[in-house]
Amino acid sequence: MGGKSKSVLRLSMIMLLSLGVILSGCGGNNASKAGKSNTGEQEADGPFEITAFIGEAGQQPTPDNKIYKKIKDELGVTFKFEFLAGDINQKLGVMIAGSDYPDIMTANTKLTAAGAFIPLEDLIEEHAPNLKKHYEKYWNMMKDPNDGHIYTLPNYGAYNGEVASTWYSGPAFWIQKAVLKEFGYPKVKTLDEYFDLIAKYKEKYPTIDGSPTIGFEILNYDWKNWGLFNAPQHLIGHPNDGGVVVKDGKAEIFANKDYAKKYYQKLNDMNQLGLIDKETFTQNFDQYMAKISSGTVLGMFDQHWNFQSAENALITQEKLERTYVGLPLVYDPSIRDHYRDRAALNLNNGFGISVNAKDPVRILKMWDRLIQEDWQKILTWGIEGEDYIVNEKGRFLRTEEQRKKTTDATWELANKAKTLYASSPKLEGYFSDGNATDAAAQPEEYQAGLKPYDKEFLAAYGFESYVDFFSDPPENPIYYPAWSVDLVEGSEAKIVNTKLNDLSTKYLPQAILAKPGEFDKVWNEYTGEIGKLNVKAYEERINEVLQWRIDTWTVK
Amino acid sequence: MDETLTKRSAVRNVKKGKKQPLTWSVIKSQRQLIYMSVPLLAYIILFAYVPVWGWTMAFQNYKPARDFAQQEWVGFKHFKFLFSDDSFWRVLRNTLGMSMINLVLGFVTAIILALLLNEIKKVFLKRTVQTISYLPHFLSWIIVTGIVATSLASDGIVNDILMKLHIIKEPILWLSEGKYFWGVVGASHVWKEVGWNTIIYLAAIASIDPALYEAAEIDGASRYRKMMHVTIPGIKATIVILLIMSVGHILEAGFEVQYLLGNGLVVDWSETIDIFVLKYGIAQGNYSLATAGGIFKTVVSVTMLLIANWTAKRLGEERLL
Repeated sequence: MGGKSKSVLRLSMIMLLSLGVILSGCGGNNASKAGKSNTGEQEADGPFEITAFIGEAGQQPTPDNKIYKKIKDELGVTFKFEFLAGDINQKLGVMIAGSDYPDIMTANTKLTAAGAFIPLEDLIEEHAPNLKKHYEKYWNMMKDPNDGHIYTLPNYGAYNGEVASTWYSGPAFWIQKAVLKEFGYPKVKTLDEYFDLIAKYKEKYPTIDGSPTIGFEILNYDWKNWGLFNAPQHLIGHPNDGGVVVKDGKAEIFANKDYAKKYYQKLNDMNQLGLIDKETFTQNFDQYMAKISSGTVLGMFDQHWNFQSAENALITQEKLERTYVGLPLVYDPSIRDHYRDRAALNLNNGFGISVNAKDPVRILKMWDRLIQEDWQKILTWGIEGEDYIVNEKGRFLRTEEQRKKTTDATWELANKAKTLYASSPKLEGYFSDGNATDAAAQPEEYQAGLKPYDKEFLAAYGFESYVDFFSDPPENPIYYPAWSVDLVEGSEAKIVNTKLNDLSTKYLPQAILAKPGEFDKVWNEYTGEIGKLNVKAYEERINEVLQWRIDTWTVK
Repeated sequence: MDETLTKRSAVRNVKKGKKQPLTWSVIKSQRQLIYMSVPLLAYIILFAYVPVWGWTMAFQNYKPARDFAQQEWVGFKHFKFLFSDDSFWRVLRNTLGMSMINLVLGFVTAIILALLLNEIKKVFLKRTVQTISYLPHFLSWIIVTGIVATSLASDGIVNDILMKLHIIKEPILWLSEGKYFWGVVGASHVWKEVGWNTIIYLAAIASIDPALYEAAEIDGASRYRKMMHVTIPGIKATIVILLIMSVGHILEAGFEVQYLLGNGLVVDWSETIDIFVLKYGIAQGNYSLATAGGIFKTVVSVTMLLIANWTAKRLGEERLL
């Protein structure tokens, strides 16, 4: 008897518990909804938390981060960052499906298409005079070609005055400094010369620090596909336009052109010589970075910012001779290189304010405050006296110790507002007192920061900085760059683009690894498959937007 | 006392499948059971039936920001795109191929391991083997694929061992050959899940009446014969039920493992339906196509489940429905 009633009791307990779980699940939802509507009426100066979604992986700043603390003390604003973990499309899909947006999000055409951002142009005009001034010249460019509203605030490319540059972060054929030094600092112009040097060096030094020397790396992992796809357009002297080459304002794909074939044929030859890493097409990004940080990779085609943290690791290990120089290679010395370009407005990047934001005006006012010079100095240089010093001429400088700290990732988390700054509107070029907006671009800072090895290296070439390896960029055409064209989610153009990338991902590695006699066969199969796609739809969409840019952006 | 008795008899009647008229007294006598089913019913309605409404998306050009009334209806357009795309049939083949490998390998290895574990008489050894073998279950695929990629690298442990044993002369690039890919996926699945899958079989084995073993022993059966004629028939019902449920998941070959291990060289063998749907549906912002893919998978799953169940019934086995 006792046993029976006990088991009934136990059953009812389980029932209660499971009901409780369900009810609390529902209850939680309601509570959070209620919370949202309550916070709608915020005081203008009270503490204000901004929730932010960052569309890439990152690290949370430390809770006592000094810049965020300063922002909190002076503007009353705190941030709660959510970084991407996993796949961006899946994450966005979930966010969009539930209309579950934080206050601000980094730009993505999917979010724009889903109507997740609020139009900003009127709010900026009304509440943010400094932002308006900052973007004045670029106002029309920021408008969405599909409906003419401004949804996101480009984070890079809005310059005041001249562009300061001692640092090149774009695409190039990179080569270890040790290779150039070994052969007496030659001037390398063409692809053939480049691979000759690598072949000679690899033969002479089959191992580096005990590990086998790797001649050339081609990264093609997930969305980081330019290592495999993008080189041909540069080799014929065009700037980075993504998947197309624009000639006289007309865009066409280059994946199946003869000048592309020439490049992959060369890679095929180099593979016969054993210069290309066997695992190059199966590796993931982490493996790629690990190889570069080990100092065994002689060269690769990549964008500087992409492998920069691996290069920083080499600097930390004091293996300066294993760091890289970017070379603007072309097929023929008569072609003028156009790797380095004048910065264009970074469209489809930077923050936008979501439709769920509690107080968009307050957020805009925060940016309006941060775009002013005093705050920009704090965000880039840091706190005067702590992170940099001002000499008697009013120039900003850093001591050796301060300089060293900035390369330390852990220090950065506690002393820099890196995440916020990277995607926020920012001043670029020079402050009104003549100091560069970026410490790395301050000429005396750059020279003082050079290690003896680099000084010797640059002196051998007679250059001021590594940027001098590149030709001066010509004026950009008004429509440049084509890679920032929004292909429109779900359109035929976008599908063709995806298929084109699929084909390249599949066939180009095959072509490069093919036996000598079979290269042509694979190549023909590849171009045959491309021929089956509706490439026209893709090219037409790009040309349509380029034309729209010419019409709308031209200053009349 | 009386009440509990009637309840028990009612339960027994239901189990025997005899038709009993639904009267208030029956309901009243089973009320505890009914209360207990409420949370589950709520769960199923909320998470299984309500989302079916979302299937309407497959027949629209769905745009997230619009109301239901504002959506544009397009009929079977997305299904047509799906079935007329060459690569769809390729990913379907890959999905089925890898799924079959996972299914067969998963079952065979788990049952064999369970039978072997059951024969171990030293409890400590048995527990140790069991614990070690099911630990990988708790790792996420991203970690497992990292381990797999490292082990299969040209200087990884697999190539090292094969070379030390003089089975191969040069390291094999496992992940760059399409023909190895299904095998790699199957082996990773086995490594990750085999220990976990044995748990249910071990439980089933434990519930076999010891008297059967005693009887077999008196008849002079060896260990091997006891395994064949007592243990396996004893867990057959469990195997069949699990098999039916797995057949329903035949299009769930996995996503992470193929997505994370795949690369351009093996893309013809590595892409599954889930990856296809991600690429052409979700990544394009084309949620309608993604939904169409989902519906296709569900329809196939339900059909397979019914076929398997019907077959089991015809063979006189335990069944699910």
